Amino acid sequence: MIMKKEDINSNPDPRIIAFVCNWCTYSGADLAGTGRMKYSDNVRIIKLPCSGRIDPLFIVEAFKKGARGVLVSGCHPGDCHYTSGNYHSRRKYAAFRDLLGFLGIDLNRVEFSWISASEGNKWVSVVNEFTEKIKSLEDSSTDIFRK
Amino acid sequence: MSNIVDEKLRKIAKDLLESGEVSLIIGYGAGSSPRRTRPVFITDAKDAHKLSFNRHSVQDLAVFLKKAEVKKFSKIGILVKGCDEKAVNVLIQEYQVSRDNIKIIGVECNGVVRQNLADKGESSVSEATVYDKCLICGEHRPLIYDYLVETDEPELKLSGALKPYTKIEELDAMDPEERNEFWRKEFEKCIKCYACRQACPLCYCSRCIVEKNTPQWIDTSIEEPGNAQWNLIRAYHLSGRCISCGECERACPVNIPLMLINEKMARDVYNMFGYKSGQDTETKPVFGVFSEGDLNDFIK
Repeated sequence: MIMKKEDINSNPDPRIIAFVCNWCTYSGADLAGTGRMKYSDNVRIIKLPCSGRIDPLFIVEAFKKGARGVLVSGCHPGDCHYTSGNYHSRRKYAAFRDLLGFLGIDLNRVEFSWISASEGNKWVSVVNEFTEKIKSLEDSSTDIFRK
Repeated sequence: MSNIVDEKLRKIAKDLLESGEVSLIIGYGAGSSPRRTRPVFITDAKDAHKLSFNRHSVQDLAVFLKKAEVKKFSKIGILVKGCDEKAVNVLIQEYQVSRDNIKIIGVECNGVVRQNLADKGESSVSEATVYDKCLICGEHRPLIYDYLVETDEPELKLSGALKPYTKIEELDAMDPEERNEFWRKEFEKCIKCYACRQACPLCYCSRCIVEKNTPQWIDTSIEEPGNAQWNLIRAYHLSGRCISCGECERACPVNIPLMLINEKMARDVYNMFGYKSGQDTETKPVFGVFSEGDLNDFIK
């Protein structure tokens, strides 16, 4: 659902989209779930095969459709199921993050993390901290991807 | 004065075409006014006299190497300035053209006059009349060439008073909200004509991301979100590749300062990965490789 700008600014529960890799972070989130750990329900998880598959366009698309924050998470360096997907994506994101910042996106709204399949607790803390950060941002912050 | 340059060029072109080493020469020829040149495509040695090069030879001819009409000639000779030659390097690096099939005729260049000033009668090369890229040019002589034609133009005198792309530092110093406002105003002007893409020697995808519609990633209507998305994605696809020829900005009918974004990305990529695009043909593209020690600070 595409949210109107007014809705978002007055929304106390900002929507956060998490793009996660299948092998580490998704399993980590799954572990948090099976371990009955509680974490912020603002986050919506989108599972992809690898952090290397998370095209920067996805991040833009999420902002365009009204997300307040985007979390990108994959396997720790060296742990990639496909050997080097996360190394490649790390390079891409470093540049893409700069570009986003240069075009006026508040970089507090984009978060990157490495979370392994055994780090259910790290997933919980990353999501909770990120949600708190997003909630603390001024509502006035706009971005160029939305009308 | 520049007749010597022209004569040398014509001799090289004639020899190349006569010996059959190339079947097409891409170069500059006389334009609609003495202060304009236009691209010429020469397939017959008899026409070599049409070639000419001067301070008004602005266009980056490497853009034609991506065209199907040009590709079918297979053996091509191309006239390039130092900045344009870097585009050829990137194309070779990315396996778009083969070094064996291309003869690079490099010309030394000490700056080209801004077309909008030239059209008003300006024909002198000085700090105030050349393009921004000429002020920070590090390749007056092409890095790689098969033939080199030396210029008889005087060296470009730089007082250092004019600093191009200072807007980048200004923008960096702003807070996100102000930057956002600046770019929103700029992208609002965009009419999605894609001239930036067409003029770019490195935008060679046969099917551009903006033309893909299952799913449609980028809004094709000229509305704000789609405009920003288009300009962001084009800049992203060019980061680590752009050779700063400035053709996108020159082609833009609504004067969006696209080179600010490209130049900013070039600087960032250099700072982060120590990589400059178009310097040679052997290095792997910066986003085609990785290092285990890459920047990790921004990741939790």
